[in-house]
Amino acid sequence: MRAHRAAFLLGAGEESDDVVQEAFVKAFRHLSRFRIGEPFAPWLLRIVANEAKNVTRSRRRRAALALRLPSVESSAAAAGGPADEALAAERRAWLVAAVNALPDRERQVLVCRYFLDLSEAETARVLAWPRGSVKSRISRALNRLRGLLVPGEQNRVSSG
Amino acid sequence: MADRAGWQSAVESELRAAGRELEVPPAGDLTAAVRRRLEGQAAGHRRVPAPGAGILRLRLGWRAALILAVAFLAALIATPQGRAVISHAFRFGGVEIRQGPGPARSPGSHAALPGERQMPLEQARRQASFPVLVPAALGRPGEVVVSDRGRVVSLFYRRTPYGLVRIDEFAGRLDQVYFEKFAGLRNVTRVAVNGTKGLWIKGPQELVYITRSGVPVIASARLTTGNTLVWGTRQVVFRLEGNLGKPAALAIASSAH
Repeated sequence: MRAHRAAFLLGAGEESDDVVQEAFVKAFRHLSRFRIGEPFAPWLLRIVANEAKNVTRSRRRRAALALRLPSVESSAAAAGGPADEALAAERRAWLVAAVNALPDRERQVLVCRYFLDLSEAETARVLAWPRGSVKSRISRALNRLRGLLVPGEQNRVSSG
Repeated sequence: MADRAGWQSAVESELRAAGRELEVPPAGDLTAAVRRRLEGQAAGHRRVPAPGAGILRLRLGWRAALILAVAFLAALIATPQGRAVISHAFRFGGVEIRQGPGPARSPGSHAALPGERQMPLEQARRQASFPVLVPAALGRPGEVVVSDRGRVVSLFYRRTPYGLVRIDEFAGRLDQVYFEKFAGLRNVTRVAVNGTKGLWIKGPQELVYITRSGVPVIASARLTTGNTLVWGTRQVVFRLEGNLGKPAALAIASSAH
């Protein structure tokens, strides 16, 4: 279920089911605000994103919210264990760790754009930001990832 | 600059790949949960001490919201993205009238009820699961169509002073709760037809057929033409549709026997 995935990735964690439930109830109540002809999914995901934000705001347990990949060992084993696969999995684990470390807004925009595969326009709708903010925050987040990842890459090469 | 763009797109595709692998726990059963929530809130309202009429209105509101929710979930699964969404729903005996902020489709599109079969009136009477009434004011229908294994009988009159008049009769009854809910809308007025309750609905609405199991038949969705009169007995609900005024519609309806 797309709404559930969105709630989880936007930080609702274990409360994702509650968030989606709340979002659906709100969606039904506010159906009259939905404009005919407007794409439905972003409208609903916007409500989901809002609810997820309420949950994370009241909780403030960032460590528990961290997104995780399946452990490197198990994914490499599942792939038959070639070294390339293991390296790729490790690289992605770093990337996800780096995304977890980003400021809230930059993490949100990356989650929408790349983890939920929304377009720029859909991301703007879901996060209720102007299109320009989506663009600039994506580019800032990508630059920050580069800053976080490149030194890591160098360390790994020099120590290995 | 080219290097930077190359680096960015590499990270972008890496992010997408990571996104596909992210661990997301399985979702719970949403439909049941949402239903429980709405029912729970309806029960909550019932306990609130308030003047009698107030309680009734709240309950009506929440019962209606519940149906809306259920119909809406079905629509989510069954319809393409961006389809018109219900702002008011009224449902009785298998047909739902949706009232949205604007027309979603043009009248006269090839909307069809499930399993439509044209046949003579006598045969339709045998196949219908209820006694079929015919308005004496219009006489014998030019065309009779039976749908959904005898659940719906439609009478078509093409040569009337008002142009095409369509009457749908189907096994079901007007639900008091939704009747009251819908009667409160701006373009709807209460009427009586031979002592039974009815509604006069001015202007076109989107009409969708809902099966016995509660699933809206998307192929049946269409915009009605002219005005509509809905009335019913305990066993049958009637829907008269055409470019005619209220007095004419009521005269036709009350001549049905």
